[in-house]
Amino acid sequence: MSVLSSAARGEPIEVRSLTKQFGKVTAVNDLTFSVQPGRITGFLGPNGAGKTTTLRILLDLVESTSGSCTIGGRRYRDIEDPARHVGAVLEATNFHPSRRARAHLQMMAIAAGIERARVKEVLELVGLAADAHRKVGGYSLGMRQRLQLAGALLGDPGVLVLDEPSNGLDPQGIAWLRDLLRRLAREGRTILVSSHLLAEMAQTVDDVVIVSRGRLRVQGPLSVLTTEAHSSMRVRTPEPERLAALGRGAGFVPRLLSADTVLVDGATPEALGPILAASDLVVYELVQVSQDLESLFLELTTSMTEAARPVEVLQP
Amino acid sequence: MIQLVRSELFKLRTTPGPWVCVAVTVLLTGLGITTSFIVGHHGNVHFTAPTTPLELRNLVGAGYEAGVVMAPVIGVICITTEYRHRILTATLLLHPRRAEVITAKVVASGIWSLVMSVASFAMVAAMGIPLLVAEGGSVSAMLHQVGPVVPGILAAYLLLAVYGMGIGTLVRNQIAGVILALGITLVLEPIIVAIFSSLAHMDVNFLPSRATQAVAGGLVPRGTGGGGGAGAQLLSWWLGAIALVCWGVGTAFVGYFTTFRRDVT
Ligand SMILES: Nc1ncnc2c1ncn2[C@@H]1O[C@H](COP(=O)(O)OP(=O)(O)OP(=O)(O)O)[C@@H](O)[C@H]1O
Ligand SMILES: [Mg+2]
Repeated sequence: MSVLSSAARGEPIEVRSLTKQFGKVTAVNDLTFSVQPGRITGFLGPNGAGKTTTLRILLDLVESTSGSCTIGGRRYRDIEDPARHVGAVLEATNFHPSRRARAHLQMMAIAAGIERARVKEVLELVGLAADAHRKVGGYSLGMRQRLQLAGALLGDPGVLVLDEPSNGLDPQGIAWLRDLLRRLAREGRTILVSSHLLAEMAQTVDDVVIVSRGRLRVQGPLSVLTTEAHSSMRVRTPEPERLAALGRGAGFVPRLLSADTVLVDGATPEALGPILAASDLVVYELVQVSQDLESLFLELTTSMTEAARPVEVLQP
Repeated sequence: MIQLVRSELFKLRTTPGPWVCVAVTVLLTGLGITTSFIVGHHGNVHFTAPTTPLELRNLVGAGYEAGVVMAPVIGVICITTEYRHRILTATLLLHPRRAEVITAKVVASGIWSLVMSVASFAMVAAMGIPLLVAEGGSVSAMLHQVGPVVPGILAAYLLLAVYGMGIGTLVRNQIAGVILALGITLVLEPIIVAIFSSLAHMDVNFLPSRATQAVAGGLVPRGTGGGGGAGAQLLSWWLGAIALVCWGVGTAFVGYFTTFRRDVT
């Protein structure tokens, strides 16, 4: 028996020119991306990249400085019955330590007008049925995370926004979560899940949105990162656009990393060198980048200097 | 909105704090009952049954002081728990419209304060009546005072909870909220009253605890806020109620615009 309806309708998430300043800190900087239903979208970036801030703005917990985000075309506060549309797991959230886990979910069910029988179902779904009578104060990190997930699924929502949901989960828990998310996505739901570990996400996500220092680095299907990524070259040049065109012409996937740096996926020094020489392109720096996903991720998220403009993926 | 109030009441019901408030209210009421049997005659103090209408009203309303102390506390707890245990995120995810959340909390803490006052009256019945009988007092004379006293006490509890809720919204910190709410009524106010009521025509009757006395009606205040000295006129009960509502809703309003709308990170 499935405790999640297969009829749930996912809605797209749109983030447009979002900027958030905390005093002098720009946590999110002109960020634009969209998330489609029926797919798992990994929202990736290193610590302090602005992931949590973005998700909190999306859920109307934090006021943006400028820009907008919508779920199914509406702002979160304008959604009539939010728990039935959007489920969320957020960092730095807590429970009343003296309240029992079951009571926490009952409280949510009352507030959202959801039938109480659902509480038992989601507790079973996340594997907390046996501990439901315990006070949350005695819960482990992983158990709290499962309880949050149970709360997110309570209203059988079509959209899930999860901030580092695998935090504290054991390996079985992580595998279980992965399967659950896949199933939910297959049912047509929209799933946006943040992480600072690409390796962990690579087996789960369909799409990626990579941010660094509040800016968008890459958005697209995971294959953007994996295709022909066995080797690539990082080239610093005064003519990045021309280099990108040359790279594309040779069948590689060039990405602009900063104002003067291009990452040419699929290229080897032996393949790219002659092309550069033949086209008289000035090169300041030419480095081969080892190309497992994790190092590509590091490359994408650390190589940008403050002054650089947002990176676009230069796709064929 | 009804769902929201119900879930706020459920929250109160499923944590120990509000039950501790009920218990302390009952205990303080027991103390109030005891003191209403201590009657002074010509400078001598006796433990004896209250007989005059005024003394009997003090017995029926023995939970008044308990309410002055504990009703603001429940209001403070209702809102500051959200910050203390970081559960505001969960609350706002379910109800992103924050003004509605504040309103539901005002209603819920008001309802809980009524639970507290009902517990207090139950204590009066359970302890005060047997004691009255044992000391040879008249139960029917006491019951005559129920009508005049009960509505005022209920209203005082209700309004003081709203006042506490307002203070809690403003300061967010649980301990600071309790200290401030009680500091104003129990410490600051008597001082202000003592200073200003002796100065010409300074109206101190709109201050929260004096407004509470006005609402509670014919009760002679004992202990709290009594520093005004003889002759200080109280407001009419409805003006007192308006004054208290202004304190509670006013501080909640200011709190809403200054702190409650802030980012929740
Ligand atoms: N309430 C706040 N006040 C001031 N600065 C903040 C606040 N919240 C976040 N920031 C800053 O905003 C930036 C982005 O933080 P955010 O929590 O969104 O990052 P993150 O991508 O979620 O990181 P992590 O992977 O560590 O969770 C950081 O520089 C952080 O210090
Ligand atoms: Mg984060």
